[in-house]
This record gives sequence, structure tokens and C-alpha cells, in this order.
Amino acid sequence: MRKSPEATKADASPAPADRLWSLLTSVKLAVFTLIALAAASILGTLVEQNLPLEKYREIYEDWAFAIMDRVNLFDMYHSRWFLALLALFTVNLVCCTIDRFPKMLKVVRNPRAKLDDGFAESLPLMGRWVVKNSDPSVASRYADAMTSLFAKPLVTHEGDDVHMYAEAGVSSRFGVYVTHLSIVVIFLGAIIGNAAGFKGYVNIPEMESVSSVAIRGGSRMRELGFSIRCNSFTVETYPTRQPKAYISDLSVLEGEQEVFRKKNVIVNDPLRYKGIWFYQASYGEVRGVVARIETRVAESSSSETLVLPPNHSVALPGYGFIRVVDYIEDFEGKYPALQVVFEKNGKLASSYWLPEGRPVSIEAEGSSRQFSFAGIAPRMYTGLQVAKDPGVNVVWVGCVLMVLGIMMAFFMSHRRVWLRLSRRADGRLEAILAGDANRNRLAFEKAFEKIRTGVKEAGK
Amino acid sequence: MSNVILFNLTTILFGVASAFYLVALYAGNERISCYGSWSCVMAAVVSTAALGVRWYESYQMGIGRIPVTNLYESLVFFAWAVNLSYLAVEKKYDSRAFGVFIMPVAFFTMVFAITNDDTIKPLVPALQSYWLHAHVITCFLGYAAFAVSAGAAVMYLLKSRCEKAGGSRGVAERMPPSRVLDDLVYRAIICGFPFLTAGIITGAAWANYAWGTYWSWDPKETWSLIVWIVYAVYLHARITRGWHGKRAAILSIVGFAATLFCYLGVNLLLSGLHSYGG
Repeated sequence: MRKSPEATKADASPAPADRLWSLLTSVKLAVFTLIALAAASILGTLVEQNLPLEKYREIYEDWAFAIMDRVNLFDMYHSRWFLALLALFTVNLVCCTIDRFPKMLKVVRNPRAKLDDGFAESLPLMGRWVVKNSDPSVASRYADAMTSLFAKPLVTHEGDDVHMYAEAGVSSRFGVYVTHLSIVVIFLGAIIGNAAGFKGYVNIPEMESVSSVAIRGGSRMRELGFSIRCNSFTVETYPTRQPKAYISDLSVLEGEQEVFRKKNVIVNDPLRYKGIWFYQASYGEVRGVVARIETRVAESSSSETLVLPPNHSVALPGYGFIRVVDYIEDFEGKYPALQVVFEKNGKLASSYWLPEGRPVSIEAEGSSRQFSFAGIAPRMYTGLQVAKDPGVNVVWVGCVLMVLGIMMAFFMSHRRVWLRLSRRADGRLEAILAGDANRNRLAFEKAFEKIRTGVKEAGK
Repeated sequence: MSNVILFNLTTILFGVASAFYLVALYAGNERISCYGSWSCVMAAVVSTAALGVRWYESYQMGIGRIPVTNLYESLVFFAWAVNLSYLAVEKKYDSRAFGVFIMPVAFFTMVFAITNDDTIKPLVPALQSYWLHAHVITCFLGYAAFAVSAGAAVMYLLKSRCEKAGGSRGVAERMPPSRVLDDLVYRAIICGFPFLTAGIITGAAWANYAWGTYWSWDPKETWSLIVWIVYAVYLHARITRGWHGKRAAILSIVGFAATLFCYLGVNLLLSGLHSYGG
């Protein structure tokens, strides 16, 4: 991390280390970095990011372009200064935790069990009354009342005085640390993802396979270690002709062997293999035409699309290989039709004519399939986003911690109640009850009022 | 479509409620503000029914999906959430003075909704995900809480000025004490903040599942982060530096302005991945 200007200033002062430490542990710095991050982010949304440089030249004057390019405003979120700001924010967060967590832990572990006058006055809620009944059992009755109305008190005796201390909702104190930790965890996950993962994209024409993908934002390629084949790509539409689903039928190949197949890779339902995810992202046409055949096993409701480029065999379990050999426009003088042949072990097994839109049942090895010629159409390609991110689960752990931490910090409250029984100068027994809550004081005021009346009542 | 008729009726009820609250506040008439509350309760029933009917009608069209998928639907859902949050606040704080500062938000949101396309369209492939439900609902509950907070902040500013000017008179007299308002500003934010956080997280999870990237600095994402930062600053300023009163109230209003920009400004003025208008 680069040194912030404040740090350099602190170096010149008599106790530089202390000054630097108090700066790094200050909430002021946190608020400053947060505002700086917010302001930078606003800038990043006003200047559209990662356009080609020529575009920016068109939009901005030369001098403005030069300045903006100089401070990396066109890829701001990945610029050094923005990352430095994030780093400063993280350092601040960690230092605040190192500074405050042990103190908090000390307070939680060794609560102030005695209520002296000055301390009582400093607490926001207080009530005092004279105990009319000087029965020695009054202290234990007060303790019981506190237990039933709030929490079991810690009782200490000091001379004639009796001190009681009870607390609830201690975990509220940890909420802020859980939340802050969660941010560090999320950043850690992001760093792991950036260092050990990659983001890429690939276009695969139907009936072709690829074994490497292009890395996003560069010209490098990355070997997958296996191949992905696109068996078919189809667009389903609603009756209104709006797109309903973009469907890629993908196979994973190890060597030549198909090891995994997912027929319905759609937006919002990616394919995952060996930690690499493939997301349906785009599509288009490539050169050439293909024959499309819808086929389904008899009595099955799900069909698949066979895409047959000219002179290309497609394996079909039980049927050997299927290949297109002819196409005519006026089969039996009526409709277009496709002639296909099935080949087993390199030998011609059978040959059929498939008229367009008229299913034909063909049996093989005891199973029966329907084949329906869906027409000759342009060959499609599917565009896939490819991502490997080993840090993503770390990010999700951070996210869960964040929600948990925020709930602990804001919806739980560390409530503390003290009670002291002491002899006044005039010889009468006096009770002082005081309370405090670190959150939601208004609600605690009501609860405290109940405790006060309840405890007072118990002494009568 | 019957759902649109019900939403139009909701709009009228929100307008009527706002008017009742306004008149009641100036006239100091508790009966009239009571009418306002009843209008809100009726609006709650009608708008809930409208959401249900719209959901049902989408199934009848054979494209069944939750009614929170375009600008019109998100606006009516936001107004629905604001109204319910308001009713919760009215009950909890036992004061109808809030109405005039919160219900107009619901009313004008509905008026804006009416100017948008209200037909039920099938979902584009990008939106066909269960994450949609969690994402939209958490975000809008957060937005609604921030609307309540900003409304209370405006009240706080009016009330505290009157208190300083020597005793409350007229309109301010019927508002809860500034201490209570200041507390409500804070309480609404701590209710909204976890929802916003969850909304951003579910959005990230969804983006990761749809595109393979949980964060891409898209304008919508970035603005949601800006909103999150504004409220984070509010919470730190209040809890560790003791910001109460005026400064805190202004920060809450700034936060809601950022929320509105994140919700509407980004879609109307900036380009990005969130182009379906939610």
C-alpha cells in the first residue's frame, strides 16, 4: 500500500508511530475513506467504464481525455488509486478492530460489578428509594426479583453495602466485529478469485467442440483440460414471439469420450464441470446450414435436437451413427424430406426418408425412437461465459457473516442493570438502581421502569 | 385487466389518505386523521389483493410469475411496502402525524407507476430465476424503510425548529417530540440496512449464477453500494461520534435521495445490465 499523505505528515511529528496508529484507528478516517469510495464510485458511474478508447475521444475534449486517461478514469475500479483506497479502508478496519476488540473483551469479561455514586450518576437510567423494610432478607428478595424480571445478578458485598450487577444481550457487542470481519473475508474471497480463478468466454458452433477459452479483457487463451461440445442451440419463444429461453445442449468430453452432458444449459442454469462454470450468454449464426431432427425415445416427453451438418455423423446410443445423405424439396410430390442413414461399425445398417414435420418411428435393439425432421436451417453457435472462481465460497461466507453481524449489532442490545443497597448517613437503608443499554435505549427505558417497580415491590 | 383497476383504486386511496392527513395536521382534527388511517388500511387491503390478482392473472396467461419484474410492478410493490411500513410506524408510535410525510411518497410513486406500461409481459430469460424473488423483495423492503426514515427526518427538522423557536405551536404541536422522531429516523435505518445488505448480497449471488460474476461494477450495483455506504456512514457517525438531531436527519434525507437515484435515476439516466427497469 502506498503511504497516505496523512501518514507522511505524521512521520514528521515527535511521536510518529502513535500519531499514525491513532489515525489508522480513527472512525474519522473510516468515514473519510467511505465518503471517498462513494464519491469515486459516483464518478465511475457517470463516466461509462471500459469502452474502446476511440469512443472516449469522441465524447470528451482532448485535454479532458488526457486527464481522465492519466488517472485511469476509463477503468477506474481497477485503477491503482481505487485499489489503494480499498486497501486503506481495509487497513483502517483491521486497525480499528485490533485497537478496540481487546478493550471490549475486557469490559465484557470483567464487568464493573459495583455501583458507586459517581458511576450511578453517569448512567442514563437511575432510580433511588428508601427501603422501609430493613429485614436482612431484602437483598436476596431484590436479587430474585432481578432474576425473574431481567437476569440473574452477580452479588458482591463490600462492608455493609450490597452490589448487584446483571446483564443481557452481550453478543450485541460482538456484532460490529463480526460485520467488520465479514468485509475483510469478502475482500479475501475476491483476492483469491482474482489470483486463482479466471473469467473467459467462448463461442462454440453446433456440433463442434473446444478445449480452450479466451480470457476476458486480454488476448490470452486458457486450456480447460477437457473439451466442451455444443450439440445444439435453440431459441424457444413465447406465442408473442418474445424469447422464452436460450438453450444450449452441451457435452463434456475427456479425450473423445463423453463424460457429462447437460441438455438444458440456459441463462440462470449454468453447466459446471471440475470447478469451471459455463453460462449461457449469447448466440449467433455461423456459415453453413444444418439439418435439424427432433428425436425422442417412445413414451418419453423430453426430446432432443440432433444437428446434422452435411457429411457429418452423429452418434446415437443404440442406433450407431446417423448421417444425412440427401434432401429433396418435393418428397412424394408434397413436402421437403431428408434422407438419413444409420451406420454401425462402419457398415450401412438402414436408410430412411424423413418428411418435414412428420414423425417416423424407427426401432433399434428393442428400443423405439421417433424422428421428426424440423427443416434445414442456418448453423448456430452458442456464446458462453466461462468462469472459475475458487474464492466465491469465501465471499458467501463473508456475506452470511455480514448479515449476521448487522443483526447482532442492531437488533440485540447489551443491557446492564446495577443495584446497590447501602446505609445512608441518617441510618436508613437506601437502594439505587441504575441501567444502561448500548442500543435501543427508548425500549430499554420501558423495560427498566418495569424492573424498577418490580424490584421495589419485592422489598415490601 | 382487473389488477390495474385495483391498483388505480389504491392510488386514489393513497391520495385520499395523504389529503386527510394534511388537512388533519393543519386543522388539528383527530377525526379527519382517523379517516386517513382507514384509507391507508383500505389501500393496504386493495393493493395486496391487486398484487395477488396480478400474480393470478399472469398464471391465467400461461406465463405465471411473481409481479415484481418491471418498472410498473416494482413501483406498485414499493408503494405497497411504504404503506405497510407506515401503518406499522403509526401503530407503534401511536401518532398519525407521520402520515402526511410518508403517504405522499406512496401516492406519487403510484402516480408515476400509472404513467408506465402496465401490461403483464412474459419474463425474458435473464429474469427466470428464483433469486428474483429474494432479491427484489429484500431491496424494496429496505427502500421502504429508508422512505419512512426520510419522512421522519423531515418531520424532525420541522419539529426541532419549532421547539427552538420557543415552544411548539400549530402544526408542529401535533408531531411527536423531536427526540422520538430522531429515534425513528435511526430505527427505520437499522431496519432498512439489513434488508439493503441482503438485497445486494442476493443480487450478487444471482449475478454469479447467471453471469459468473458476483460483482461487475455495473451502475446499479455501484449505486446500491453508494447507498449502503451513506447509511453505513450514518450509523458510524451516530453510534461512535454521537451524531443526533439535525445532522443525522440531513444524512438520512441524503441517503433516501441516493436510494431514489439507485432505484430510478440509474435506469432512466445511466446504461447498464439492469435495463429491465426494476
